[in-house]
Amino acid sequence: MNRVLLVAGRDYRQIVATRAFKITLLIVPLMIAISAGATSFLRPPATVAYVMADASGRVAPVIEHRLELDYQGQVLRDLSTYARRWNAPEPGDGWAGDAAVERFIRDGGAATALARMKLPAGTPAFKPAVRPYLRVPVPGDVPTDRGPDAFGRALAPYLAGDIQTGEGKRALAVALYIPAQGPARVWTNGRASGALIGVVQDERTRLARLATLRANGVDAATAARIETMQAPLVVSAPPPGGGREQMTVRSVVPLGLVYLLLMSALITGGMMLQGVIEERSNRLLEAVLACIEPREMMLGKLIGLGAVGLTILAAWVGCALFAAFAIQGAMADYLRPSLAALNQPWMILAMIFYFFSGYLLLAMAYLTIGSLSNSMQDAQAYLMPVTMGVLLPVMLMVTSTLQNPNGWLPQVMSWIPVYTPFAMLARLGTGVSVPEILGTGLLLVAFVAAEMILLGRVFRASLLNTGQPPKLGAFLKLMLRRE
Amino acid sequence: MTVLVLDQVVKRFGDFTAVGGLSFSVPEGGIFGFLGGNGAGKTTSVRMMLDIIHPDSGRIEILGRAPSRTNAPQIGFLPEERGLYRLMTVADTVIYFGRLKGLSAADATSRTAALLERLGLAQWAKTTLDKLSKGMSQKVQLATALVNGPRLLILDEPFSGLDPVNQGVLEEIVLEMARGGATVIFSTHVMQHAERLSDRLLLLARGRKVFEGTQTEARALLPARLLLTAQADPSSLPGVSHAVAIGARQQGWQQWDITLAPGQEAGSLLQYCTGNGFALRGFDLHKPSLHDVFLHLVGGPLTGDKP
Repeated sequence: MNRVLLVAGRDYRQIVATRAFKITLLIVPLMIAISAGATSFLRPPATVAYVMADASGRVAPVIEHRLELDYQGQVLRDLSTYARRWNAPEPGDGWAGDAAVERFIRDGGAATALARMKLPAGTPAFKPAVRPYLRVPVPGDVPTDRGPDAFGRALAPYLAGDIQTGEGKRALAVALYIPAQGPARVWTNGRASGALIGVVQDERTRLARLATLRANGVDAATAARIETMQAPLVVSAPPPGGGREQMTVRSVVPLGLVYLLLMSALITGGMMLQGVIEERSNRLLEAVLACIEPREMMLGKLIGLGAVGLTILAAWVGCALFAAFAIQGAMADYLRPSLAALNQPWMILAMIFYFFSGYLLLAMAYLTIGSLSNSMQDAQAYLMPVTMGVLLPVMLMVTSTLQNPNGWLPQVMSWIPVYTPFAMLARLGTGVSVPEILGTGLLLVAFVAAEMILLGRVFRASLLNTGQPPKLGAFLKLMLRRE
Repeated sequence: MTVLVLDQVVKRFGDFTAVGGLSFSVPEGGIFGFLGGNGAGKTTSVRMMLDIIHPDSGRIEILGRAPSRTNAPQIGFLPEERGLYRLMTVADTVIYFGRLKGLSAADATSRTAALLERLGLAQWAKTTLDKLSKGMSQKVQLATALVNGPRLLILDEPFSGLDPVNQGVLEEIVLEMARGGATVIFSTHVMQHAERLSDRLLLLARGRKVFEGTQTEARALLPARLLLTAQADPSSLPGVSHAVAIGARQQGWQQWDITLAPGQEAGSLLQYCTGNGFALRGFDLHKPSLHDVFLHLVGGPLTGDKP
């Protein structure tokens, strides 16, 4: 065992000293940084300012009220999602229409709703969305009483830059001129979405309808009721702790492990392959084999590479945990609840088992390829079918699992040992029966054991061979030949 | 005591018989030359001694045991095909092999330091091997074979690839190991090295033993050859097998190529000539070299017939 560990230690030290390994370690932190950067980059534009001159005196309050309702409706929907994620009572139905939003505002808005949730200490704080639009007064040098053209001309320089608001300087994105009669005029510089224009259009249309109803003899109260009438809609959301969203959240960590397994196994497998080919091409195997058994060498390499994989995994998972709990961003929003969902010890044990079985399965294949190849060029001939044979079905399976965790593809692949670690990891978050875990686990153990024996024979027999790599028939013979 | 015994050892690779019924033994102490052309079966035999490959039949005993890695702490091995971990430092490489051979970390470290000092590599201890010259790398490889202070040192074609200076250094180390009591077995196809170093030797051709014994015994297989410059015909002298005149007679003196009868000492002939008034102007003795013996025994150049 001592010699096995010596080989493992040497291989480990050699690989972690390489530049490739250090770059590999940086992949996940880099992804997290990109994710955080992209989140802020892709975030809807911050609040933009708008000015509105309302010659009619009636439209501006209506538009402001509409914008407030839309914003608070968004806050209410976000709060509902937040409550479901943290298993708290929902504050109301954000889809239930203006009446529900009005009630939400009347009751004190987000602050009151959050207080009612009674969330345990340590729960990440709720961050309400930013207001998309902030009305600012029309600048003093812009005339509002000389018609839209004069208004537009005077305002044009302001639209090119920022304007002072109560919350600091903001981009002035939209200017509205509502005449007493005739079409409204809108000037925009393209820095805001078209939502505000839509609101102006809708509200003016609504006011026109009201006026028409009144003109046709409908009393004011009835007309207002008709205008605010909404078809009843009941949205049935899954109870807290269930449903597709919760299932997706629970699957984040297992699915992440599928990708980590794939990436770390392929990367370290490649490193191991290079190491064995170097030993073969450098002609140093004979000196090593005079001191240790080929079997010890094989185990040493598997353990050494396992340790390399573990280091990569620890670094990546550490970064992910750091991202989840120490920084904000889209990744953190998903990781926090998904880690919290891993509250069953068997699930963690099963994940560890599938991860390392998958690692061993692929590492042994790479080790054998290395023992058969005189150069990386030789290795490519074996590498491509093995890598593609694993990669493509697994990617297909992950996509299928996200659409339907109990679809036929993930289920069938769970029972094919080469794919078992990936398929079972991918499905763990969505609930897999214990008999299925035991059955696929036993099959996987038997397969890996058989792989170690059969490919181990090929490894031992091929180490000192210098000729062309064996063809399929010779390869099978090597596998089946007992020493 | 015998450190190595091969008894009717056979190793085949497919249809090719690399070693066919090889039997010999090596006594403890001294330097044993394992000679043969390329493809004669030397490396295959060495690999079988070290349990790197297994014989198809026959028996091997090394240091009193069957070949296995349990012998590794007492064996130093320098393979024919040499290579090292390019990115490891010189010291780490030697320590690693020392530890693989069962040394403790402390022992391996101290022995490595001493060995690198002795081989003139101390200043390169922390240098990675990819920065060393080929000759220095080969010295490092030699250090990996010596680090455990082996009782049996097996060197497979140790001089190949070395310049004359480093060949000399290696020869000195081999002699020093032997003087220290270790048994050295080295394989080579360069007969001059064997002549300079080996006490006993074994000649191998096409996987079979063609000779085993001392250098003197090997040379005795071929008749000694003399160049005499005499006035009279030496054909009738006792111990002379036959004599052939070389070139033209000059001022009464003729040069003769003399072949002595097997087992006949050149000294006895000289003694006879001086004692019996046989006039001589030249007496130039040519003992057969191992190269001559090899050619005589194998009947061809120093190359094998490996496919």
